[in-house]
Amino acid sequence: MPTVLRTAAAEARANQGAFWTQVAAMAINDIVWVIFWVLFFHRVGTLRGWDRSRVLLLFAVLTTGGGLVLGVTANARRIGQLITDGGIDAALALPVSPLPYLLARRVDAVNLGDFVFGLGLFALAGGPTPERTLVYVIGSLAAAVVLGSFLVIVGSLSFLAGRSEAGDLGFHAIILLSSYPVDIFGGVTKLVLYTAVPAAFVAAVPARLVNHFDPLLALALLTVAATFGMGAWTVFTLGLRRYTSSAIWTRA
Amino acid sequence: MREPWPLVALRSSAMRALRDPGPLAVSLGFYAIVATVLATLWRIAATAHGGAIVGYSSAQFVWYIYTSEAAVSALNPRQIELTGDDIASGAVAVELLRPASVVGMRIASELGRSLPRLFACIATGAVLATLSAGAAPRPAAALLAVPSLVLAVACNLAAQHAFAGAAFWIRDARSTWFLYQKLVFILGGMLMPLQVLPGWLHALAGALPFMAMAYAPARLASGHLDPQLLVVQLAWLAVLAGAAAAVFGAGERRLQVVGG
Repeated sequence: MPTVLRTAAAEARANQGAFWTQVAAMAINDIVWVIFWVLFFHRVGTLRGWDRSRVLLLFAVLTTGGGLVLGVTANARRIGQLITDGGIDAALALPVSPLPYLLARRVDAVNLGDFVFGLGLFALAGGPTPERTLVYVIGSLAAAVVLGSFLVIVGSLSFLAGRSEAGDLGFHAIILLSSYPVDIFGGVTKLVLYTAVPAAFVAAVPARLVNHFDPLLALALLTVAATFGMGAWTVFTLGLRRYTSSAIWTRA
Repeated sequence: MREPWPLVALRSSAMRALRDPGPLAVSLGFYAIVATVLATLWRIAATAHGGAIVGYSSAQFVWYIYTSEAAVSALNPRQIELTGDDIASGAVAVELLRPASVVGMRIASELGRSLPRLFACIATGAVLATLSAGAAPRPAAALLAVPSLVLAVACNLAAQHAFAGAAFWIRDARSTWFLYQKLVFILGGMLMPLQVLPGWLHALAGALPFMAMAYAPARLASGHLDPQLLVVQLAWLAVLAGAAAAVFGAGERRLQVVGG
């Protein structure tokens, strides 16, 4: 699998100029969000316990974890499309497990910009100490597992529903909901963010752990990551049993 | 009398969009989520801030955000990338054979594709805003917001084509859509009313065309009866359409397509 990842990375870097332009474009895109939050809290002060520094930390975790998933395992958000377009056929003929192969097969330079931005934002605004950095790294990795697994699960719904927009909608929903302070939501919405669309575990929970480490909350994050990871594997494997190919031979 | 080509393109694109409800449903679902989250954020902030921020009450913020989001959600966010790809790949060369302006046809076609989405967003947004904040703060101003939204989409499309026309020279306009989109988000007032910006940035944003793409209709929908905003939008539409035509005109003269 490391070979597949190396090949995908080499493909992404093949056009050096475009690669760095795309990385820079995403970093600038992220800076705009930082400007938004700075302007927002400049007017508002604090909101339900959230202030500028707390939101910037949340954003650092989100861009690091999100950049990792959408940059290094870029096919995570394309699983549904690969299923409906026959894009997984080529992977099925190889002597490797199809899901890890598909995930490692494509590196997206644009989203690597997110990853780089997240690291930079944490270094600048996250108050990095050895302890905080360790929690940030582990938290971002766990967030990446939750996000990647969720995307695989909603993408795999295409095994059952055929062409489906659920993957697209799921992707946009979880990214959007992760990028806001979770405490602005209440009632059922908040419950959904901790369960069905686990946006809280993609950014807010890891960010809270960096500021106030709580072993129980850390255990909850790791448990959720493991559960969603196993869920993604199970849903994809079960779906694959129903897969009958689209009779289009493509390169995964 | 024959129908003008751009009108045919507009109508047929609108019909195609209506016949394929899948993407329409996704856009609508995404719009509902994005607008609700952002409106909730500003509503809570205004409430916690004594009921208003920069002169906008909680209810006004809600109507503002549902409208500004509708203006942007109606469009394909990656239009610059798609148009740029068509130029860079030479696909646009075929369109030169038609007895009509390439950019005019493209803008008309995209406008046709966007209008069903826009009206679906307006209907959904009006229902959601009423449910969370009550009726529109000033119905007359809210009615003016409807033509203003159509103008906002037209301005946005014209500007996107002017931006994408850069592909005639640089060949790769892919990354520029990120930057363009963010200009609309902040300087266009999609994420917040321009009054939230610091004074100098507010003045700058007010002088740029992005304000015609989200701020103008949202300002109207939030209860500010400023009909002159429609005049400003019309002026920007003329400027942006002229710029897009000039960029495409110059680009078409230097277009070289290899192969067949």
